[in-house]
Amino acid sequence: MHEASIAENILEIAIDTALKNGAKKIVSINLQIGKLSAIDNSALVTAFDVIKEGTIANEAVLNIENIPIIGKCNECGDESEYEELYFKCKRCGSFDMSLISGEELSIKDIEVE
Amino acid sequence: MGKVDVKEGILAKNQYYADQLRELFTKHSIFVANFVSSPGSGKTSLLEKILPILKDEYNILVIEGDLQTEHDAIRVRNTGVEAIQINTGGACHLEAKNILDLVQRYNLEKLDMIIIENVGNLVCPSSFDLGEDMKIVLISTTEGEDKPIKYPSMMRVSSAMVINKIDLLPYLNFNVDKCIDYAIGVNNKLEIFKLSCATGEGIEQFIVWLKNRIDAKKRC
Repeated sequence: MHEASIAENILEIAIDTALKNGAKKIVSINLQIGKLSAIDNSALVTAFDVIKEGTIANEAVLNIENIPIIGKCNECGDESEYEELYFKCKRCGSFDMSLISGEELSIKDIEVE
Repeated sequence: MGKVDVKEGILAKNQYYADQLRELFTKHSIFVANFVSSPGSGKTSLLEKILPILKDEYNILVIEGDLQTEHDAIRVRNTGVEAIQINTGGACHLEAKNILDLVQRYNLEKLDMIIIENVGNLVCPSSFDLGEDMKIVLISTTEGEDKPIKYPSMMRVSSAMVINKIDLLPYLNFNVDKCIDYAIGVNNKLEIFKLSCATGEGIEQFIVWLKNRIDAKKRC
């Protein structure tokens, strides 16, 4: 349950960015969250909705783009999507894999007025 | 007004403090290990085993993270090693700022090693860099052997996995090889240790490995 602390970080960055750009209101916040970042979407939205009260983000919506786990085999070069991070190459069975995506935890952009 | 690009990591602030910590630890050549596990896997028990031996050669500070109580810090102090307790209140993990606030008030000159015992939690501490050299994750045989694939994020950010309570293996259905296979499948660079804090089996090997790491950091 570290979603509360993640939500605080999101709110702070979004408000900072909005104020720097002379905005009065944040309409939406677009996030990229990898499947491996151990974030539960609904817990994050709940936490965010509680802390946004009374800020310029109090009507802001969190849009979460979940990024899949993509692994690339360092032996045969196969690049595939994986459901979990038990990394055995789907093609050749090697454990020598690189993670291409899935660990994202970032704010892509915000919509402001 | 429309869209404003942010492209910032959500944990950029934690990373900022973690980078400061890493710089500070490197400046003082202090090796820092962040111990993580579920509650009850034996992090404090392992410290009680290794500290009496390590303290003869190294100056060590232990930072204990728990929601409440000083119990773990007291157990560590009983080994003769200095321990500072951080009570997080409700928070399920330590953040870099917690550690920075603490070490800035501390004389780091004399230290060779800092051990951070994180809050018992196999999920959240994986996201928060504390400026450590490595995370060491513990799994105990009384947990499921599939812990490594149930909690892959922690395996991925750890450098070593310790399987504790191996003395109980005759009484349990815990398949050690399967557990290791799972762990390597998640992170093939993991160093694996099998030990028992109750009988002492495997402890020496773990200590030798830690000593090498502490000495390597000193030479930096």
